[in-house]
Amino acid sequence: MSAQALKSDITATAPVPEASPFDRWLPATPATAEPDWLARIRAAALARVRSEGAPTGKSEGWRYTGLRTLLEQGFTAVDEPLSALLPEDIDEVLVSGLDAHRVVIVNGRFTPQLSDLSNLPAGVRISPLCTELAGAQTALADHLNAVAGEGAHVFAALNSAGFEDGMMLHAERGTLVEQPIELLHLSVGMDEPRIAQPRHLISLGDGAQVALIERFASLGDALYGNNALMEIRLGRDAALKHRRIQLESPSAFHISGVYLSQAANSRYDGINVGIGARWARTDLVTRFSGEYAECNLQGLYLAGDKQLLDYHLDVHHGLPHCASRENFKGIVHGRGKAVFDGLVYVAKDAQHTDAEMSNRNLLLSEHAEVDTKPQLEIYADDVKCSHGTTVGQIEPEMLFYLRSRGIPQALARRMLCIGFAGEIIDALGNDALAAYVAEAVGHRLEAVPL
Amino acid sequence: MLSIQGLKAEVDEKEILKGLDLTVGAGEVHAIMGPNGSGKSTLAHVLSGREGYAVTGGSVTFDDRDLLALEPEERACLGLFLAFQYPVELPGVNNTYFLKAALNAKRKYHGEDELDAVSFLRLMKEKLKVLHLDDSLLKRPVNVGFSGGEKKRNEIFQMALLEPKLAILDETDSGLDIDALRVVANGVNALRSPERSMLVVTHYQRLLDYIEPDYVHVLAKGRIIRSGGKELARELEDKGYGWIVDEAAA
Ligand SMILES: Nc1ncnc2c1ncn2[C@@H]1O[C@H](COP(=O)(O)OP(=O)(O)OP(=O)(O)O)[C@@H](O)[C@H]1O
Ligand SMILES: [Mg+2]
Repeated sequence: MSAQALKSDITATAPVPEASPFDRWLPATPATAEPDWLARIRAAALARVRSEGAPTGKSEGWRYTGLRTLLEQGFTAVDEPLSALLPEDIDEVLVSGLDAHRVVIVNGRFTPQLSDLSNLPAGVRISPLCTELAGAQTALADHLNAVAGEGAHVFAALNSAGFEDGMMLHAERGTLVEQPIELLHLSVGMDEPRIAQPRHLISLGDGAQVALIERFASLGDALYGNNALMEIRLGRDAALKHRRIQLESPSAFHISGVYLSQAANSRYDGINVGIGARWARTDLVTRFSGEYAECNLQGLYLAGDKQLLDYHLDVHHGLPHCASRENFKGIVHGRGKAVFDGLVYVAKDAQHTDAEMSNRNLLLSEHAEVDTKPQLEIYADDVKCSHGTTVGQIEPEMLFYLRSRGIPQALARRMLCIGFAGEIIDALGNDALAAYVAEAVGHRLEAVPL
Repeated sequence: MLSIQGLKAEVDEKEILKGLDLTVGAGEVHAIMGPNGSGKSTLAHVLSGREGYAVTGGSVTFDDRDLLALEPEERACLGLFLAFQYPVELPGVNNTYFLKAALNAKRKYHGEDELDAVSFLRLMKEKLKVLHLDDSLLKRPVNVGFSGGEKKRNEIFQMALLEPKLAILDETDSGLDIDALRVVANGVNALRSPERSMLVVTHYQRLLDYIEPDYVHVLAKGRIIRSGGKELARELEDKGYGWIVDEAAA
């Protein structure tokens, strides 16, 4: 099926007197049958988007992340669901050998005919957010925006104002889901640049354990945008393994946020891999609502020519005895640019916090750029906190060792890059997924002049 | 096989090799001994093509080719092998993958097909046995977390796999206990053949008890100042280097 053949016939929203550069990101027709509480959330979010407008180079958190190219694209909201895709159309973007329950979001919408939830165990519910909302569930009123509320940046508000669908996942107390759940964002280019704004709500009851593999992929290398937002609530003793593999089309613009609230003794283990997209910004935000919770954030990014990959981490220790560990590694080549901004805040009362942050970067060319900004703000006095960042080149000694064994220079450099990335790839903890990511990394590095 | 004439080399504008002559014939084992800092590792590095050394004079031919004009990987593919004094750790680079890449690079250079997985594994098993290496080391990243002795044995293991024409062993014996020394020496001896030459850099006679050299040279202050048979090594063990250095200066 040719994506370009899909014609859209809805014209843009009429300009409103008080406008923001993002108004056209919002759906032209407001969703009908939405509950009042949601209408109020949307109105407040829209008001915020309009009053704040687009962040500038002076805005906190956007110094190194220019928005000009994003704004120039003239994105408009995805206006109609792509219902014509058949399961065989998406074979090419699947991870071979991955056994998982699968949800496929196409251009922002939950697409049941591509999803496979037939073997979902008891105790887990997965459903399209739009049907949940149409059911006027008041329960969701407490959930939506509960985690990604006030403090989040304008794109989170924009998502609240404009989302139409997404995934709702709830695992009941004590549920163990053995097979991972895959959440695949599949983007298909349309005849003009469209942006999708899916919203996902994940909640794990006390003691529940889930592995979630979230992926971003595309059919073809079209220009499109995603502004995806996920809110996660982990109950006491709950554990979530969250893998996020961003392999958007090279022309795509990607914004995503994961907002996480962790109850006592819960564990979040997240790994973010960023390889695709022309411009990508990811925010990972954690709040602890109970003691002895643990948040582990790892990442691997590969930024090349004309590519910007930006990760903003924000871990707030407001309570004692919680642990956070951040380990991000980046490879930047050509004229690529990467941003790592890691904030760990330890409040006065958060004694016995254990926080560790590391960001290591490998620059493969003279013009590659990385802006790394670890920030530890510590107001408690009995804590264990450390951070380290490095920006370096391939070690000449290592390169010589490989070459002295007959391995050609380009292959030797590639081997060392893959070795550098290997720590994060191995940590994925799923052979099929690790092989998929390793191949994507290898494939990218093969295209790089080394 | 190898002919070095008047070789001069600098590091950071400091002359380390000051006109070194050495000829190694096919199948010969030459030991190079000499005080610390005399330039033994520098010679090994210059021969294998490491960056950072400026060759300011002399020539090196290896099988009738101008060795110094070749890239390090090409020297390796032509049969030169350096067992490092300090083997380098390669985090994240799997040892098996590394060995396979090295072996296949060499085969490709010579227009041979890559080795299939089964033949490769068979070959590794066979060589592992000779060096008493545990095959768990193959699953780990190259040299990372290896003990000193394991690193040295891993070097000889690579040599066994790559079957070079000229092997340079830079203090492969230092840091080995007596059992490991015997294993390494056995590994080296198993590779001795009329076509394979070796340059063995060492400070100790004990290695030469196991690997009997045809010639022993003393390298001091960037030159070979004395050459002899294996009895020279024994004399050095007894008397140290001082007397030769003094004689050479006189
Ligand atoms: N990269 C370098 N920069 C500066 N000086 C160097 C460098 N490499 C070697 N040298 C110097 O060159 C001289 C010879 O060093 P080399 O390592 O070749 O000695 P060696 O004979 O192998 O000594 P040892 O027996 O201790 O291994 C020493 O004075 C050393 O300090
Ligand atoms: Mg040395």
